[in-house]
Amino acid sequence: MAKEKLEIGAISKPRFEFRTFGRSFEDSAYLMSRLSVPVPEKVWERTSMETYIISRTNDVNNTKIRDGKMDIKTFVQEIDGLEQWNPLMKGEFPMKAEILEKEVFPAFMVEMPKLDKDEYTIEEFMEIVKNHPDLQAISVEKERFGYMINDTICEYANVWINGAMVVTINSESTELDDIKKTIVDLGLQGVENINYLQAAKRITGMIDKKLAN
Amino acid sequence: MTPAILPRYEFRIFGNNLSNYEEKIRQFSEKEITREMDSIYILTPYKKKSNIKIRQGVMDIKHLEHEHECLQQWNPFLVGSFPLAADVIKSVVFPALGIVCPVFERKKYTLKQFVEEVISIDPDITVAYVWKTRHAYTVNGCITEIAEIKVNGASLKTICIEAEDPKKVIAAKELIGISKKTENVNYPLAMKRIMGLTELPENWNNVNF
Repeated sequence: MAKEKLEIGAISKPRFEFRTFGRSFEDSAYLMSRLSVPVPEKVWERTSMETYIISRTNDVNNTKIRDGKMDIKTFVQEIDGLEQWNPLMKGEFPMKAEILEKEVFPAFMVEMPKLDKDEYTIEEFMEIVKNHPDLQAISVEKERFGYMINDTICEYANVWINGAMVVTINSESTELDDIKKTIVDLGLQGVENINYLQAAKRITGMIDKKLAN
Repeated sequence: MTPAILPRYEFRIFGNNLSNYEEKIRQFSEKEITREMDSIYILTPYKKKSNIKIRQGVMDIKHLEHEHECLQQWNPFLVGSFPLAADVIKSVVFPALGIVCPVFERKKYTLKQFVEEVISIDPDITVAYVWKTRHAYTVNGCITEIAEIKVNGASLKTICIEAEDPKKVIAAKELIGISKKTENVNYPLAMKRIMGLTELPENWNNVNF
């Protein structure tokens, strides 16, 4: 079967991902810039401000809010150290209480707060998060530089988590072998795969574990 | 507990881009020394007047004694070196944390035991591992510091001006060009913001893309 040709920004079948976080991946970032094929100008450099909602009780659902839109991804499987995440739900604020009750809070895997309104604005939702002992809102600002190597979508990014900076580097594709080759080409063999959820939890002290460097 | 040093008035800021202030500091002073060190900060969302840290196996607690204009005066106490007696942890450390003290199974705790058996398992406590590279200067007779820090691996910069005389600190702050409106952010508050233990103000280290 011919493998699916990935296009940056296009919807594909669920991808596997290698991502890691640390203080510096300078050498790998240089290799990434040299090995990449030309990519569309729109992904050369992108910035965004997002809010991640992290839950003490789960590491399998990743919830982020950007421009008033919520996006939850769920962990599907790990093969050879590469993680596959699928979209679980997408929603927009104001959000119906029913969606919060049936989709959002179950994804957090925390005790359900009492919802006495039909609909919630983002501010009202953030207030619920603030008052929940097992949830935490994290400010995540990203400056992302896009590349493509071995048909995998790659990125090097500066990320500010609650104002403190880390760097992240990743390769994602539907094809495991292409990611593995990219990891080798970028000199990242043996480096731990750390997803956004893990990085946010480690930096905020929810998990007592170090980043990759 | 033994008083360590005379309490100084302090003004501190944290940020991602403090280069304007750094340049000013370098105009007024040669760099005197660079020191690298790691510290463990023990944080809870509750107490706002305690700064509890462990450095080189020694725990110290600073208490916010006084606020004068925009400055803070912290009074440091050396709690002691590890192994620490459970009685000291109970009578000094937990009251400073502002949380209920657990029942201790040991009479003394090594640092490793304290981290693994006491603080890591307490849901009210968050630990920040902080690596600091501190560059010392003197501006207007004040101890002035530019430091690169890593909080649980994430980078940030901080600048601090401190002296026993608050007037000297205020004058040094003006010389460096720090405005009167700039918020004085102490270490525990900065750590709590990064760790999500307290709300982030609107202007906290926003990256100006």
